[in-house]
Order: sequence, then C-alpha cells, then structure tokens
Amino acid sequence: MSEKGEILLVDDDPDIQDSLRIILESNGYKIRTASNGRQAKAALEETIPDLMILDIMMTTDTEGFDLAYELRDNPEFKNIPILMLTSFLDKVRHEGPGPFEFILGEQWPAHWLFEKPVDPKKLLAKIESILKET
Amino acid sequence: MNPQRTETVQRDLPGELHERKRIILRELKERSLWFIRLRWLVPPSILAGTAGARLLGAEFAAVPILLVAAFILVYNILFLLWGRRFGADPSQEAASLRRFARWQVGLDYSAMFLLIHFTGGAASPLTFFFIFHIIFASILLPPRSAYSFSILVVVGMALLPAAEYLGWIPHRALLFQGRSIDLVQQPFHMMVAWGFFAATVSITAFATSSIMRVLRRRIEDLTELSETVTELNEKLNTLYNVIQAIGSNQKFEQVLQAVTRELASVMEVQGISIKLLSEDGKFLRYAAAHGLPESIFRNRVVEVAKSPLNRRIIEGEPFITGQVTQREMFQFGEDLAAAHLQSVLFVPLTVEERVTGILGAYCLRPDRFGSEEVEFFRLAAGLVAIALENARAYEAVESLVKERAWFTMRVAHNLRAPLAAMLSMLEVVRGGYLGELNDQQKEYMRRMHRRVNTLLATVSELMTLASSRSEKIRVADEAVDFSKIATRIDRTFKDEAVERGLDFKITLPEDLPIIRGDSGMLEQMLENLVSNGIKYTLSGGKVCVTFSKGAANVRIEVGDTGIGIPSADLPNLFKEFYRAENAKAVEAHGTGLGLPIVKEIVEKHGGRIMVESEEGLGTIFVVVLPVEHRISAGDDSATESSLKNDTKAGDVNIHPTKEW
Repeated sequence: MSEKGEILLVDDDPDIQDSLRIILESNGYKIRTASNGRQAKAALEETIPDLMILDIMMTTDTEGFDLAYELRDNPEFKNIPILMLTSFLDKVRHEGPGPFEFILGEQWPAHWLFEKPVDPKKLLAKIESILKET
Repeated sequence: MNPQRTETVQRDLPGELHERKRIILRELKERSLWFIRLRWLVPPSILAGTAGARLLGAEFAAVPILLVAAFILVYNILFLLWGRRFGADPSQEAASLRRFARWQVGLDYSAMFLLIHFTGGAASPLTFFFIFHIIFASILLPPRSAYSFSILVVVGMALLPAAEYLGWIPHRALLFQGRSIDLVQQPFHMMVAWGFFAATVSITAFATSSIMRVLRRRIEDLTELSETVTELNEKLNTLYNVIQAIGSNQKFEQVLQAVTRELASVMEVQGISIKLLSEDGKFLRYAAAHGLPESIFRNRVVEVAKSPLNRRIIEGEPFITGQVTQREMFQFGEDLAAAHLQSVLFVPLTVEERVTGILGAYCLRPDRFGSEEVEFFRLAAGLVAIALENARAYEAVESLVKERAWFTMRVAHNLRAPLAAMLSMLEVVRGGYLGELNDQQKEYMRRMHRRVNTLLATVSELMTLASSRSEKIRVADEAVDFSKIATRIDRTFKDEAVERGLDFKITLPEDLPIIRGDSGMLEQMLENLVSNGIKYTLSGGKVCVTFSKGAANVRIEVGDTGIGIPSADLPNLFKEFYRAENAKAVEAHGTGLGLPIVKEIVEKHGGRIMVESEEGLGTIFVVVLPVEHRISAGDDSATESSLKNDTKAGDVNIHPTKEW
C-alpha cells in the first residue's frame, strides 16, 4: 500500500495507540507515536507530520490542549492539522467556549474532535478530508 | 483612599448643632416672606378705606394717607428685593435675617403711627390695628424684641396725643358728618382709653409670645425627633445590609468589604477594621479595613500579648473604648496618631460564645464613642460575625462542590478510558486487521462490542445525571440560540438518519424568542429525544423536530412515526433505568437514562414535557420552555409557579397527554 501521509499519534493509552496504529497503517499512513506532550515535541523536532492525532487528558487533565495551543503559537508547527481525541467529551463541553463551537471556532487549536471510542470508518474519512483540505 | 477620608472628616463635625438652628431660621425666613406677601394688601385696603370713609361722611386730609400707602408700597418692594438675596441655607445669614425681620416690624409701626396721626390721633379708629402688629411682631421676633415693640407702641400712643395736646405737632381732628371726634379736648377720657390700650397691647404681646415659645419648642423637639429617626433609620439600614450579606451567599472578601464600608458610613467615623483571630489565639490579622491608611493594616499582624486593648476584648470584655493618646495601650499607636486618629472602639466578633475576631471603629475626634454607639456597634458585631461565618461556610461548601465535580470527572474518565481502549481494540479484530474471522467469531465479537458499548453509554449517562443532579450551580444562564442548536442537531443525526433510511427534518421559524438557559444542556436534551426517535423508528419512517413560538414560551416538538410507547409504560417513562417493553424488543440493551436526563434538563429551565404516543403509530414529545425564567440553583418553587402560569395562560395542550 502506498503511503498517504505521516501521522503523529499522541496518546498515553498503549492499547489505543496500538489499535489506531494498526488501523491507520493498514490504510496506508505512516505512523509515529508519542505518549505525552514532551515525547510529542521531541518527535516534532525530527520531522513535521502531515497530521497529528492528539489525546487531551494525558499526564495532566489538559496536556493535549496545552500542546495544541503551544503548537499553534509556534510558526514552525502552526500549520500541522490536529485531530483531537478525548474519552470524556463532557469535560470539553463544560470548560470550552461552548459545546462543539471549537470545531469551527477560531480560538480552538484543533481541526476536529472525536470522543473515544471512535468509529474507524469515521476517523479515516475525517483524516482523509482534513488532508485534502490542507 | 484620600477622597473617602476627606468625606468622612467633614461628616465627623457635629452637624446636628447646625441642623436645629437652621430649621428655626428657615421658619423665620418663611414667615418674613409671608408678611411681605400679606403687606401687598395694605395699600389697596388703605385706598378703599379712605374712599369708604369719605363716602360715609368722614372728613380728613386724604393726601397724606395716600402718601403713607405709597410709602408702604415702596418699602415692601424693597423688602421683596432684600428677601430674594437669602439663599436656600439660611444658617449662614442669621444676623441678616433678624435685621430683615426687625426692619419690617419697625417700618410697619412707623406707617401705623403716621396713619393714626393723620386720622385723628388718639381718636383714630386705626389704633386697634396695632393689635395685629403686636401679634405679627410676637410671631416674627423673639419675645424680648416683641415686648420692646409693644412698649414702643404704648409709649408712642402716649406721646402722640400728648404732643398734639401740647401743640408740639399739629392736631388733625377727624370730622364725622360735621361733628368732631376729638379726644384732645378730653384729656381724662384720652388717658383712660390709653390705659386700656396699653393693657390690651401687653396682654396680646404676652399671650402671642407665650404661644410662640411653646410652638418653637415643639419645632425644636420635632427637629430633634426627625434627626433621631433619620439616624436610627440609617443604622437599621446598615444592620439590614449586613443581614442581607448573611443571606446572599456572598464571598468572604465581599462581605468584609461591604460590612466595613457600610459601618463606617453609618457611624460617621473615619475607619472600620475587622481583625480575625488566629487559631492559636495569639495573633490578630487584618481581614478588612475601610478608611484607614494602608500603613496601619497592610501586612500587619497584631500580637495579642503586645496590645492590651485587643487582649482585653479577647479575654472577654464586651467592649473597649480607648484614646490614642494612651500609646502604651496600642501596638501600633504611633501609626494611629500619625493618621490623626484619636479614639477607638473595639468589640468582639463572637460565634457561639467564642471570640473569632475584633470589630474596630476609629475616629478623628477624642472621646467619640458614647453608650448608644457602643450598643449599636455590639449589635452590628453580632451580625457581622454571623455573616463572616456564613461566608466562610459557603466558600468551604463551594470548594467541596468543585472538588467533587473534579472527582466525578476523573472517575468518569477512568471508567470510560479502559472501555474506549477495549472498543478500539475490538474494532481492530472485527475489522479483520489481524486476519479474517470465521462467522461464529464475528458474531461473538459483535455481541461483545455491543455489550461494551452499552456499558460505556451507561457510564456516560450516569455521569451526566449525577453532574446535573448535584451541580445545580453550574447551569449556565445565557441567551439560548435555538437556530445554532438546531444546526448542530442536524449535523449530529443527518448521517445516521440517512443510514437508517429515515426522513429527518428540523423546522425552525425565524422569529423564535430567545430564552435564557444552558445551551449545552438543551442541546443534550434534544439529542436524547432525537436519538430515541431515530432508534425506535423503522426504515421509511419520519423523525421531525419542530420549534414554534407559544405565548411567552418556546415549544419544541420531537415527533416520530416509530413503534410508539404502550400506554402501560407511559407513567414510568421518566423513571431512571425504566424501559418500555417494546423498546427492549428493538434494542435489548438501552440504558433507560435518556428520558430522566431530558426531564431533569427541562425542569431546570422551568419548563415542562408532555408525551403523546400510540403504539405502532408513533410518539410526540412536546417540550415547553418559558421565555421568562431565571435559572437559580434548586429553584423548585419557580418551576411550580411557571407551570401554573403556563396552564392559566391557556397554553395549547395536546390530547391525550400525560404530564410529568
């Protein structure tokens, strides 16, 4: 299968990491993984991926957000599209600017947000459409 | 801080001293002006009297009398102009006002003497008019001045006929129908008349002055009373504000600020401080200070052992007043003196017999605090202590609530995360990424997937229910834009509806009123209703969401052409974990939490939900949300009343319906 692009998968849950890696690799993406913000930044220093899949709650409750905001403010990384994952959407709803508003809103650093578990078909379709856009 | 200080300094002056004087002077001014208005009637009356007397056959020289009338007119105009120069606050011009009154009385007397002289001297009938003047003078002037004027009248009325009798001034006899009324010819008669006149004048002056003295005292009493009432009113107001602070769930800091500001203003003192006692009882920390220079309280801790006044309060004295001149009594006496503070009043803040702090008042004048003030301050301190304790408790509860919310969130995450990972891995196996499965393996995988999914949904809904039950405070109170919600609902369910072969439609009028509430919650409510509709409607059916405008409410109908709800199940529909029999047949593993959440959310918005359903034909849920509803924590009564109001307004009620 030809490579469609490189994805940096950041999640502290090894089971999620493994299962998403298998699904995405089988669908032709090159995958690198990181388990926290620090590892993710180290990986970004090596090569810039075509897309990032980023978990929100890792070592801290908002590690994914913190990283996303940091990247957005960095001219080197601000163009990397981010697809966020969370296993607790309710938290995002209550503390974000408004339910789902961030999906299109300017102040949100991500392109999309999925609640875990994510349907592989929907995930693949979304990745494809984001990559097509950018 | 500076502007506040100057303001308080001004109020520190004994304003009440001025007040009484001002009211009495205002009275004097008003009466003087009233006399000016009354005097306008005099010249026309003289004119009319002269003409009338002439017609009746009295003979006298009219010209001098008319000149006197003109004289009165002229000086009244002058008085009018003079009177206008007095400002609204007569206390600044007391001497000038008295002079104003004295001139009026003096000139009126002169005019009277002239009139009497020209109308027959001792025989003049106008003599009796002096009585009015005596009354007026007694009303206008203090008793001594009134008596002086009376003596002046009596003496004048003795001198005038005497001078005429002795021929010092010409006598102008009054002729009536040719006959002369001339007392100058009969000195004895004249003296008797004068004697009685003198007696009448004296009695009038005495009587009027006595009445006026009583009246003046009454006015003073009234003034004093009104001052007391105003003062009491202000104090009551302050106590009321403190009580309000107790009941208002204000933050600790806010209570401190409000209370010190309020007390400083009502007690008319420079500053108020609240010091709180440390746990070990050794230190007092300034928690709030109003009107005091920062150097006194900023980063300052009072050591109880070093401050005799504070120590005595903590040891149980009900109050302490102190003079700053006794430096040894204060730990920071120098700073107090530098701020020109002269006297202090300390009372304990007591909760359940335990001193928790000290309420202090600071004044620029020495010996400021009398027993009434102490009494009031102690009363206030009792309330302040309760308010502070209450605010502290409220803050503690609030932080507990926050902690619990965080805990709930963490638990939810920890429960969901493994399930999500499990489902993710199942997807890998089911998707054949690890090699093809046989049919039996596939079937078992499918069942496993479904059970895990159900568990995940149950966890989510339990968490939502728990958080909406407990965190009443977190219901947002914002303008809800239903068009946005409708767009999102459409986006969420469009694909699923197409997949299931359903016609899904949302209708929304453009002029829908904005209601206040929590958009997120309302969206979730609709999500639950629509997802039910889609779940329980077979392919080829229809699911519609219709928004419409009612009388002071927004009406949302979620209708489907699904399997319907058996009437036996209707009463239990909103109970947790309850599922209708036929629903179990469609989906074996629903959670039974969707509708209880819907009901919870509707009630939080003061609305109501109704359901109409017929088995096999479909179901319509109708949600009515009032426009005028304020979100308030645990506000059950508001829900009640808005329900009643709705019914009274003759709101549309579909039949047959059941309401919960």
